[in-house]
Amino acid sequence: MPIVELQKVRKVYDTKVAVNDISFNIEPGTMFGLLGPNGSGKTSTIRMMIGITVPDSGSISLFGQPFTRKNLHRVGYLPEERGLYKKMKVMDQLIFLGQLHGLNAATASKRAHEWCERLGISASIGKKTEELSKGMQQKIQFISTLLHEPELIIMDEPFSGLDPVNATILQDTLVDLRSQGRTILFSTHRMDQIEKLCDSISLIHNGNLVLSGSMRDIKSKYPRNRVEMLFDGDTSFLQHPSIEEAKTYSGRAEIKLRTVDGIAPDAQPLLAHAIQRGTRINRFEVKEPTLEEIFIEKVGGKVDA
Amino acid sequence: MHNVWLIAKREYLERIRTKSFLFFTILFPLLMVGGIAVEAISSTHARSASHIAVVSHDQQLATDLQAELEKGKDSEMTVDVISPPAGDTRAILDGELANKSLDGYLWITPATQANARPSFSYTPRSAGDTSTKDAVSSALRTVLVRERLAHQGMVASDVNSLMQPVEVDSTQAGKNADTMSTYIAIYVLFFLMYFVIMLYGMNVARSIIEEKTSRVFEVLLATIKPEQMMAGKMLGVGSVGLTQVFIWLIAAILLTSTSMVSSMAGGNVHVSLSAMQIVFFVVFFVLGFMLYASIAAALGAMTNSEQELQQLNMFLVMPLACCFFAMGIIISNPNSVLSTILSLIPFMTPLIMYLRLSLTAVPAWQIALSVGLMLVTIYAILWVASRIYRVGILMYGKKPTLPEILRWLKYS
Repeated sequence: MPIVELQKVRKVYDTKVAVNDISFNIEPGTMFGLLGPNGSGKTSTIRMMIGITVPDSGSISLFGQPFTRKNLHRVGYLPEERGLYKKMKVMDQLIFLGQLHGLNAATASKRAHEWCERLGISASIGKKTEELSKGMQQKIQFISTLLHEPELIIMDEPFSGLDPVNATILQDTLVDLRSQGRTILFSTHRMDQIEKLCDSISLIHNGNLVLSGSMRDIKSKYPRNRVEMLFDGDTSFLQHPSIEEAKTYSGRAEIKLRTVDGIAPDAQPLLAHAIQRGTRINRFEVKEPTLEEIFIEKVGGKVDA
Repeated sequence: MHNVWLIAKREYLERIRTKSFLFFTILFPLLMVGGIAVEAISSTHARSASHIAVVSHDQQLATDLQAELEKGKDSEMTVDVISPPAGDTRAILDGELANKSLDGYLWITPATQANARPSFSYTPRSAGDTSTKDAVSSALRTVLVRERLAHQGMVASDVNSLMQPVEVDSTQAGKNADTMSTYIAIYVLFFLMYFVIMLYGMNVARSIIEEKTSRVFEVLLATIKPEQMMAGKMLGVGSVGLTQVFIWLIAAILLTSTSMVSSMAGGNVHVSLSAMQIVFFVVFFVLGFMLYASIAAALGAMTNSEQELQQLNMFLVMPLACCFFAMGIIISNPNSVLSTILSLIPFMTPLIMYLRLSLTAVPAWQIALSVGLMLVTIYAILWVASRIYRVGILMYGKKPTLPEILRWLKYS
């Protein structure tokens, strides 16, 4: 039974179609990535999942039941922008938000202290929120999402604006939570994060679902037609007929091989050709396309359609 | 209900702890004390320190005037009598004025015809010293009337009893007997209500705008309903207002019971509130606040910045201003049909009904009806405001037009 089920969900603002008949499921205990460029409808979709707005048509089920506010206590939501009281002290704020999720003050305080310890912000709990850096505030927001130990965690762009060290800390925390059996959905416009973390994804563009499914299925659908090369010397081998497209940087090339009838092309002749031409090969790797490349391919093809 | 309570508690505690709350709460009574003290000091000063001279050919008139001014009810001056004046008297007196040993002199020129009044000319040292001049002219009037009456052959004791001031006692049926203090109480409470509704009503609107700009609402709306959030805010901010008013009221009661104020007011004026008045004040304050705060909440929901809010705050001020203009009608005739209708209009009830209650015996059904109407109105405004809020927050950045607002109301 999926934890989240969206069926043909549609939302129109004035004249703009923000979300156009999107359907996807999220299985329990998985990490789900909602992907798309800025303004593609990620936030609109998430807002409908937690009842801030109501879909114009289609249905949303959480925990196997049609949407009801009662179930929101089982959900932790992190909005895209920081939503904290600026003048409130960090600990007061966390306790207040914990209480709103149905915790008593003592439990909220205990868990908040544990989380602050874990994320390394214990020193700041007596300060006013506005005195803290953006990254620190994001951690506080992050903690407030998790205090009531939700079964479903929904995070809108959780890593935006964080430095790599802090982004990694939060990513590791999410991976931890998944291994504890929680279900996690997060949105991002950064494809590289999703490839590492997510079990399955949905890719949206201009409100339309472009691609959806488990990471493994998606990748296996796309032939291994990418080659990354590091080399010294002559570049004339790039004229080889098996190459459809190539980007060259100094000593490095990203190559897309010509696919015929959906069968992954053989890269051996290209390698042989390069060696024959006297190019010194330092690395030759045959890869599947990255999500970003799949996305560009998908969306690029749809622009005129 | 639990959520409403949580929101209210947070709002209350955060506001009570601010420096501006502490500052206002203490500053206001201090200003009252200060104002009263300045008033008291200046009035006693004006009465005791004046030293004047009376110049007259008529010795009797001059000494009568001296007695009235030195031992009279309204003044305790030092008066020199110069009678009759010498040729250089005026020059000497002008000199004394210049070296500040004298505050002024009264020159009485005898009448040229029989039975006509002499003419009087008062020369003060400072033109601003009106209290001395007033005391002199009032004493002159008394002395002249008394002299004329004695001249007509009236006995001195009869003259005195005739000159007694008249005091009128008024008693209102079944009410506080002290009309003067009732009026003072009404005015004080009226303006207190006006002030607190304006101040804290706007605070509700500001608090909503602040939540919008800090985007906290998104976190809150993921757990609670907009109605709960607004109700919580109104309760929280309202309790802060009520706390402040109670502190001020206690300060006012303590102040008015001190002798300094009584002596300043020249008698036994004290603000006495009946238990009933206090109960009604609390009831109408709370309801009035909720009503205006719900309007403010709707304004806050429609706007995105303090500036935009300022442009719309006439919606708060106008009904209050109407109450102010209606006050005269109510005071002159609290039982007329017009007064009754005005007091039943929900936006005016908190002030106008309270005013009527203090002035007259209002039928119980009218009180019940007015409270019922207010509750219904509060609920309706809150409902509309939460609809506007829910949609308004998601469309911020752009000012809504009237058709848009109407469309929002239909939107869930």
